[in-house]
Amino acid sequence: MTMVVTSATPSRVERIVNRVIGVSRRSVVASIGVVILSAFALIAIFGPALVGVDPVHPYLDAILAPPSGRFWFGTDGNGMDVFSRVIYGTRFAFGIALPAVAVSLLIGVPIGLVCGYIGGTIDEITMRVMDAVRIFPTIILALAVVAAAGPSLINVVLVIGILDAPVFVRVVRAEVLALRSSTLVESAVAAGNPTWRILFVHLLPNAIQGATAQVAVRAAWAVRISATLAFLGVGIQPPTPEWGAMIRQGAELMSGGQWWVAVFPGCALILLVFGFNLLGDGLQDILDPRRKVSAR
Amino acid sequence: MSLLQVDNLHTHFVTRDRDNQVRTATALNGVSFALADGEVLGLVGETGAGKSLTATSIMGLLRPPARIVEGRISFGGRTLTDMPPDELNALRGNEIAIVVQSPKTSLDPLMRIGDQIVRVIQAHRRMERTEAYQRALKMLAAVGIPDPERRAQALPHELSGGMAQRVLIAMALINEPRLLVADEPTTGLDVTVQAQILDMLRRLVSEMGMASLVITHDLGIVAHYCDRVAVMFAGRIVEIGPTAAVFGNPAHPYTRALIGSAPENFSLAAGRPGRGEPPNLYALPPGCHYVDRCPLADSRCAQMPPLVSVSAGHEALCHKATVTTHG
Repeated sequence: MTMVVTSATPSRVERIVNRVIGVSRRSVVASIGVVILSAFALIAIFGPALVGVDPVHPYLDAILAPPSGRFWFGTDGNGMDVFSRVIYGTRFAFGIALPAVAVSLLIGVPIGLVCGYIGGTIDEITMRVMDAVRIFPTIILALAVVAAAGPSLINVVLVIGILDAPVFVRVVRAEVLALRSSTLVESAVAAGNPTWRILFVHLLPNAIQGATAQVAVRAAWAVRISATLAFLGVGIQPPTPEWGAMIRQGAELMSGGQWWVAVFPGCALILLVFGFNLLGDGLQDILDPRRKVSAR
Repeated sequence: MSLLQVDNLHTHFVTRDRDNQVRTATALNGVSFALADGEVLGLVGETGAGKSLTATSIMGLLRPPARIVEGRISFGGRTLTDMPPDELNALRGNEIAIVVQSPKTSLDPLMRIGDQIVRVIQAHRRMERTEAYQRALKMLAAVGIPDPERRAQALPHELSGGMAQRVLIAMALINEPRLLVADEPTTGLDVTVQAQILDMLRRLVSEMGMASLVITHDLGIVAHYCDRVAVMFAGRIVEIGPTAAVFGNPAHPYTRALIGSAPENFSLAAGRPGRGEPPNLYALPPGCHYVDRCPLADSRCAQMPPLVSVSAGHEALCHKATVTTHG
């Protein structure tokens, strides 16, 4: 490692730069993921302003126009600019995935902490409930809930977030189980700390590491599921520029030769999911203590 | 009145085996002792004798399947054994503190050590952060950490084992407890560091006037640092008394074996006095637990031995205690 801990005290900026370089050296995969995700993030933030084309404006003179200089990605069946829609769609992809993962974390992490620390019957019951949630086909469950609650953005975020919470419960619980019997917890108890403080001050920061890699992986999953829901017609509704909904529209046109309506949002979706997965894999490598040496 | 009073403490591990049969490991079988204010008591014995378990029982740190099935522990006149968690938390780290065996894993790896010490202060008293931090720095200096300002900024992995142990001692002493339990405070440290840390500990304990329970399997440590010593075997204190009396005139055969097996007393001619394995805690003999290894054992030893007073404050749990001391 290039870290010099005791002798020199580099400036804050230097430290951050060194750290970034160190991490990217340790995992090329993660760096590629970060590059892809940063590109998408920039597109999501600045893209719509730069494109300057309303993604829901129907150009009635150019319905299903193929890609051209005027419409880079062509137009869809409503005469809407596919390029502009793909760009705007980035906002929905992030806007669903990140809040959904946040919801999962908010629900899953505290439950995992408490279950892992307290154990016993409460843990047993909770984990069986989590199993039940996991074992149910997610798409069907999500379909049912969104269909019942209504296909608003908030509902989609909540449903995806809740359905994915068990992942974080498991990860955090496993970490806490390992830490619970450690001398770290013993000395915290011996210092007179009440249980809540041990949970949230000492165990949470130590247990959350295992969940960090999962965040990226679960974000990829959330992007996919939200697109799937839209594709199946229960998520975000057209003409909102959401990739899944766009792919659905385009799927029907593929056989007619109008490939561009589905292929462009499809590629964007694949690339974003790929980016999240690369970052997740890379983080797993970096954070896995057994691979620290080899991954250097 | 004594500060810490342990009466007839029984701590057992109750588990179930594969056939769902209850199995009980009788790890502590009636431990009794008292500790006065300012006194240093050494607790010695072989692995599995119940030294650490005694400490854990006192601190209320037992986790299932271990639990106290009988007996009473009182501290400053208050009973610890049935104290509600809130009151116990108010005592722990404040009036009773413990220094544990493995310093490197006992510190929170993600928290700077200055902050960890501040947390121990703030867990028990309202104090401004800056004031608490100054106090932490002072304590770090007192336990012999050079350049405390910089060390306080360090994370635990940046410390050596000896440094980490000093930090743990600083954390234990920061609230000036009345009782310090030191559970093998120098295990895994090299001999020079060991001596430095013990000297420092002894000095601070006497300066602050606190009582201390020192758990160790090193008789040298007891001889140098403890006023009294209690020898444990298979969950019982088999001999207790002033250090000089116990070491000068050991009354229990196990104590003699223990002293005889210390490296400085070891000679090939004398054989291996301490040979044998710790008894099976699932099936202890009904009388004296040492019976299987004792060279003096006879039929009487199947009965529970009496606590024989050898001299003032010096007692041994043995049928032959008085006989052997004169012989």
